[in-house]
Amino acid sequence: MAKELVINPQRCIGCTTCALTCSITYGEDFNLNRAFVQILKDDRKGLFSIAFSSACKGCKKCAEVCPSGALRTIEVADKPKEGQ
Amino acid sequence: MNGYAGKLLDIDLSTATIQEKILDEQLARKYLSGLGFNAEILYRELQPGIDPLGPENILVFNVGVMVGTNIPTASRIEASAKSPLTGRFGTTNSGNYWGSELKFAGYDGVIVRGRAEKPTYVLIRDEEVKFLDGGHLWGKDCWEAIDLIRADHRDPEIQVALIGPAGENLVRFASIENGYYDAWARTGLGAVMGSKNLKAIAVRGTGSVKVAHKREFLSAVDETRRAIVSSPFFGAFSKFGSMLATGPYHEFGALPGRNFQTGYLPTWWETRGRPQVPKFSKRGVGCIACNIACAHWAEVKEGPFAGLKMKDLEVTPVFAFGAQCDIEDLSVVVKATEVCQRLGMDLVSAGSSVAFAMELVQRGILTRDDLGFELPWGEVEGSLQLLEDIALRKGVGAVLAEGTGRAGEKIAGAMDCAMTVKGLEIPMYDPRGRWSTWTLGFLTNLRGGDHLRSRNPVENLKYNENIEPYRTEKFGFDLKLYEQLDMPAAVKEDIFTAPAGEVNVAKMAKWAEDLLALYNSLGICIRPPVLQQVGPTLMAKLYTTLTGWEITPEEMIQAGERIWNLQKLFNLREGEARSEHVFPERFYRVPLPEGPAAGRVLDRERVEAALDEYFQARGWDPATTGPGTEKLQELGLRQ
Ligand code: SF4
Ligand code: SF4
Ligand code: SF4
Repeated sequence: MAKELVINPQRCIGCTTCALTCSITYGEDFNLNRAFVQILKDDRKGLFSIAFSSACKGCKKCAEVCPSGALRTIEVADKPKEGQ
Repeated sequence: MNGYAGKLLDIDLSTATIQEKILDEQLARKYLSGLGFNAEILYRELQPGIDPLGPENILVFNVGVMVGTNIPTASRIEASAKSPLTGRFGTTNSGNYWGSELKFAGYDGVIVRGRAEKPTYVLIRDEEVKFLDGGHLWGKDCWEAIDLIRADHRDPEIQVALIGPAGENLVRFASIENGYYDAWARTGLGAVMGSKNLKAIAVRGTGSVKVAHKREFLSAVDETRRAIVSSPFFGAFSKFGSMLATGPYHEFGALPGRNFQTGYLPTWWETRGRPQVPKFSKRGVGCIACNIACAHWAEVKEGPFAGLKMKDLEVTPVFAFGAQCDIEDLSVVVKATEVCQRLGMDLVSAGSSVAFAMELVQRGILTRDDLGFELPWGEVEGSLQLLEDIALRKGVGAVLAEGTGRAGEKIAGAMDCAMTVKGLEIPMYDPRGRWSTWTLGFLTNLRGGDHLRSRNPVENLKYNENIEPYRTEKFGFDLKLYEQLDMPAAVKEDIFTAPAGEVNVAKMAKWAEDLLALYNSLGICIRPPVLQQVGPTLMAKLYTTLTGWEITPEEMIQAGERIWNLQKLFNLREGEARSEHVFPERFYRVPLPEGPAAGRVLDRERVEAALDEYFQARGWDPATTGPGTEKLQELGLRQ
């Protein structure tokens, strides 16, 4: 079984824990500009969008700490090999 | 520096100068950050007796050292000045995103002095700090002003601390709003900002917060997250937020109904209770780094305010407008919240002011002719009109804008209807209906009648009878939680009276106040799941690994005590006396008329005895209510 990242921005609470955690995981300090995931806030409407950069390592740490289920991992069956 | 940005901004509006101050390490270790810094700065720099609305008052914002990291709930900023409402140490805490932006811009705090010649706002964008003309913002409500500032700089992520018309018009309980929906609400600091002609402080930061010992720090963060999630309150708090509290006070018969004339409102639960929450809100919205998201996105679906959408459905306005003014419809409470947020007023004092006016109408002291509209209990339009009149100081609104304490003195026969302690309107519930650490805290709190800074972490929400009335309250949870509570064994034994399973209220008040002073000095949130689970041991671990500066749990809790005592010294210097530690007369004289607490009235002697016990627990002189030389020496506060 492999893990896959599922994104559901409607559930996002805007806490930015994902980006804070990503930045400290791959850098030596907290810096939202260096995170591979960005949370863009429309705070008047309470809406948030989640954007991954192409440099994302796919480690899913952000989903592990996401408190709302906006980012989460699900188990998926391994893809059948081609030709089978 | 690690954890800290390492600099404070010192802004003088009179001379239009901006200075950077390097953070002093010794001072930082002693006062931590946030509230601790504010208390240190204001005690050192302010002269006693100054006019809170004069240019000599100083307004300080300090962000918690933990803000900008992924410590759960680390989002908080403390704002302080001498209060125009109480004349004491005015102080208030807020979260959202403003604090992390300021840290990322490179500053731990902002000190604001003097008075600008004309309406001004301050922009902080990383190293760029400047004064900007605020003429186009003056008179605008908070939501409009935020939109304008963001448009000025074409940046929708700029975070704004600002005042509305109420602050501009020096309403003594004006708030400083923090974005659209959060606020530094209590004690009238919005009026201080207004007196300085300062409309807003807009912040955007793109830098870093550094960590001393990354691996150990992250493991302490994990531990904190697990601890918070394990709180028995966690699930319910995420789901209902503070609306959880609508149940117990109804069951105790301790609602602040009709300006504290009744503890029981028959339709409360069906109309204003927790079961209503799902009708308005579907999802949580959190401050930065928060894993609880106590705030909810509320949408009004029907009635005259249908279509109104905002954060949040919070219990304090529900008690203030729902119970104190007896407005049945929660969608009106949401509307009143919006009105106060836009005008920039503290919801508690604003709701209390409307309730105060309603009681004056009931007693025939105020009439329709005085007001220009009807204002019976539960009145919707009149209440909203009165809020606007207060913010704009129109008609009776001009008197109410002084706060109910001063208004009570000005309007003949009205003093008995002002429900304040030390000048601050009492929130939440009726002390006659329930005695607890919280109730004693209404008296001992340094900012006046207040529910946010003196709070038992194992709050009893189930029982209302105790073996020793006024001295103890029942432990509110499964005793397992008591075992887990992060409290030194000796303190635990002293506070907790086994086998009765009760908590000594006076001693718990001291512990809780010191603990809460720490949250407000580190930048983490005081919501119950945190309060129960994150004690001095975890705080010390987080602080040490974040800053690289060793601190023990004992030193941590002592820092909380130091910060509490320093605020007390500020108040004593302003003349605070024992005689001011009293509830409104009504609570001693008039029994609650109906409901589960019918017949209850406060026993003056026993309240005084509880205060004596509290002062003793603090090591304070019960006559002066302050620390003596010995206590000051112990805390490193020699004068
Ligand atoms: S998957 Fe890993 S690398 Fe990618 S954003 Fe999440 S934490 Fe960062
Ligand atoms: S995706 Fe999850 S962790 Fe990131 S901001 Fe949204 S709720 Fe927070
Ligand atoms: S618990 Fe509520 S107030 Fe506290 S940090 Fe979280 S969202 Fe903000």
